[in-house]
Amino acid sequence: MNPKITQKQMEKVHVRIPDAFEQLRQGRISRREFLRTATLLGMSAGAATLAAACTTPEATTGSTSSTGADAAAVPAAAGGIVRGGTLRIGMLLQQIDHPARFSWVEAANVARQVGEYLTETGPDNLTRPFLLDSWEANDDVTEWTLNLKQGIKFNNGDELTTDDVMFSFSQWLDEDIGSSMLGLLSYLDGMNSVEQVDDYTIKLHLNSGNIGVPEHLFHYPAIILHRNFEGDYIKQPIGTGPFTLDEYNQDERAVLKARSDYWRMGEDGNPLPYLDEVVYVNLDKDATVAAMLGGQVDSIYNPGPSQWQATKDSADFNVIPASTAQTIVLRTRVDLEPWDDNRVRTALKMCQDREKILQLAYFGQGDLGIDAHVAPVHPAYAEKPIPAYDPEGAKALLEEYAAEKGIELPLAVTLATKNDQAEPEMAQALKELAAPAGFDITLDITEPDGYWDRWTEVDLGLTSWTHRPLDTMVLPLAYTAAAIGNWNETRWTDDEFETLLRQAEATLDVEARREIMSQIEDIMQERGPIGISHWRSVWNITRNNFENVKAHPTSYDLLYDVWKNDA
Amino acid sequence: MAVAEQTTSVAAVGSTSAWRRYGQNALIILDSRVGTIGLAIVLFWFFLALLSMVWTPYPPNASQFEQNLWPNATNWLGTDHLGRDLLSRLMTGAQVILIKTRLPGGIAIPGGVAIWGVFGSLVLGVAMGLTAGYYGGWTDQIIMQILDALIAFPRIILYLVVIAALGQGDWVVIIAITVTGAPGVARLARSLALDIKNRDYVLAAQTRGESAFYIMFREILPNARGPLLVDAMLRIGYAIFAIATLGFLGIGLPPPDPDWGNMVNEARSYIFNNPYAVLWPSLAIATLVIGLNLFADGLNEETSRYQR
Repeated sequence: MNPKITQKQMEKVHVRIPDAFEQLRQGRISRREFLRTATLLGMSAGAATLAAACTTPEATTGSTSSTGADAAAVPAAAGGIVRGGTLRIGMLLQQIDHPARFSWVEAANVARQVGEYLTETGPDNLTRPFLLDSWEANDDVTEWTLNLKQGIKFNNGDELTTDDVMFSFSQWLDEDIGSSMLGLLSYLDGMNSVEQVDDYTIKLHLNSGNIGVPEHLFHYPAIILHRNFEGDYIKQPIGTGPFTLDEYNQDERAVLKARSDYWRMGEDGNPLPYLDEVVYVNLDKDATVAAMLGGQVDSIYNPGPSQWQATKDSADFNVIPASTAQTIVLRTRVDLEPWDDNRVRTALKMCQDREKILQLAYFGQGDLGIDAHVAPVHPAYAEKPIPAYDPEGAKALLEEYAAEKGIELPLAVTLATKNDQAEPEMAQALKELAAPAGFDITLDITEPDGYWDRWTEVDLGLTSWTHRPLDTMVLPLAYTAAAIGNWNETRWTDDEFETLLRQAEATLDVEARREIMSQIEDIMQERGPIGISHWRSVWNITRNNFENVKAHPTSYDLLYDVWKNDA
Repeated sequence: MAVAEQTTSVAAVGSTSAWRRYGQNALIILDSRVGTIGLAIVLFWFFLALLSMVWTPYPPNASQFEQNLWPNATNWLGTDHLGRDLLSRLMTGAQVILIKTRLPGGIAIPGGVAIWGVFGSLVLGVAMGLTAGYYGGWTDQIIMQILDALIAFPRIILYLVVIAALGQGDWVVIIAITVTGAPGVARLARSLALDIKNRDYVLAAQTRGESAFYIMFREILPNARGPLLVDAMLRIGYAIFAIATLGFLGIGLPPPDPDWGNMVNEARSYIFNNPYAVLWPSLAIATLVIGLNLFADGLNEETSRYQR
């Protein structure tokens, strides 16, 4: 007999879970969205999956992304799990000191094998408790109770308790440490907002409601530190993770050895990890394909389109895609001419042949955008028609603007960006696409550092924005009055938008939030400062004798249950 | 009136004979097999560059084909990662090096960036070298110390300094080539001036009371032109390498107009899928530089023979 979860059992966890279950049953939300809501409200991932399975298959439609539940359910390979072996990954190895200060995912990828996080946002973009057993939020999401799992041991033998979590929070919230967590947790009034209830319970008292707390706890600098950590992770690699740091030579290699007493169990009933060893080899991106094909490494960090092209048809590698909210934003400074006029901004947006740009930038691998900074992979994304390429319409708008200003077309503008991911390709495509509409675009493409020095200052630019799992996470960073002077690179503010955003930030119910998001998307399309033509896919490319490998939207290496079938 | 007609006629005859003399001098390169081959290669690229001004198989910047195609009947050299025709881009890329320079404001002047860069080096280097060599003493010391200091810097650093200070653009690359090339030209001009300034005809000019400017540029320079011309040919090759290097580093001529170095840079990421996109511009750079070197060798060979 199959086990079932009853409505009462769901209610016991949170009163709103049965509502979400009903929406799932009626097909109004996808299985992925139900899982996210249920786990967000404190239901364990296993129970939520079980509840979702109780609905009919017809009811689980509406997934907007290729990283839905399918990606989460990586099938176990036939023939059973094999223990042992070494996984070699090519990646740049940067300086590591204090994990709270990490500013690059590469450093975190090494450290996350040794230390762990309270939560985990999986490859399916769902966030689940990890070192936490569960979390609970009050109705207006201003109070969060974090319940820690019991019996987890650090690799020095000490048990994980809330002392360690309190210490970690104190590091994140310490201005002298300089962690990017400080900005993310801006709804906390320092350590005054973090209450240690007992050895396994912590309460967070937020200044304002925020649904993103679980996601924030998986931000890459948020590794849980040992209470006696003194500031250098290479000297004190103490964590609860599946590996121990055996060797770390910056710009050379990092060697991680399996722990025998890790707290999570494998499918064979013994402690994870399955691998004996993980070795990160310092490798420049240009050399990665040759190193893969030459057998020097088994996998590479964050492969780009050229690496994807070179390996996608290879019989030796598994190429696993993941949809993301990573994008390159065509952004304008609305406080400067001519971008202060919405007709000019709209005209430029109309010059995006989105399919063509995605094809040229990422060989068509990704999702199309709608000029709002909300991606199809986000839980509350409201689907809208993809705007068409309309140079004639754009030209009419520009002519109207030019006649009013007494200037002649073409309108000469300079597009600044960096020579990094696909920005040069996008910039060149846009120059060609916008010419028939009356834009004369001069390209100003510099090295990444050169652009990052001025990214908030240029009139017109292409800026890359990384993936964030929740729809409400980027918008306050980039499009609010409070963000001017920080990451609001467009200087755009809109009272109606901001009011709706604050509502969305306090709305747990996905469907209710989607209605708000729909209005937010409309505002950004009608009068917003940005064009978003696409959301790129990322890939994990790993030699095909490794199993259980996952592609993560932010290129995080989750290796605890990866195994090598010919070890 | 008769006098005027006679003058015109003499001038015309003089002009014709001067052109004939230049023509005959130019034809001495055909006496050298190496020089002839070099000239043929260089002329081939000049021809392609000129042709591209009026015709290319497809618009060079239009992404109208499938990406990373290998050579085929439609795209003879294949396409790049943005689906642009490689032959069209290769032809257009030769323009900027050899026959056209784009100035700010959308103006274009004849003569490629490499040509103008080397011309700039020659003007600056010859002026400094002749002055140092002719005057000697403190003037020589000061000029040569400055030039030695410039030569002490790695060339790529000087390029970066100039581009960081002035930004991107054809004229900036010309200035970069001028600044980095001038010290070498100046050294050569100085050594030639030191030799020639003691010749009898220079002493005769000094005795006549000619100005130093006249002596340097009318007496010494014409007699030093052979080695300087050979050096200039070699320097055009260096300049092409410099443009390609800057393009490869992404700080040369601004995209999307094709630049051979940038074409190599953009295509190298896809070298495992489409090696041709790297091969063609690399071959273009190599053949043009080899052609110029062979031409310079031939020129050197023949001018030396005449001197002997």
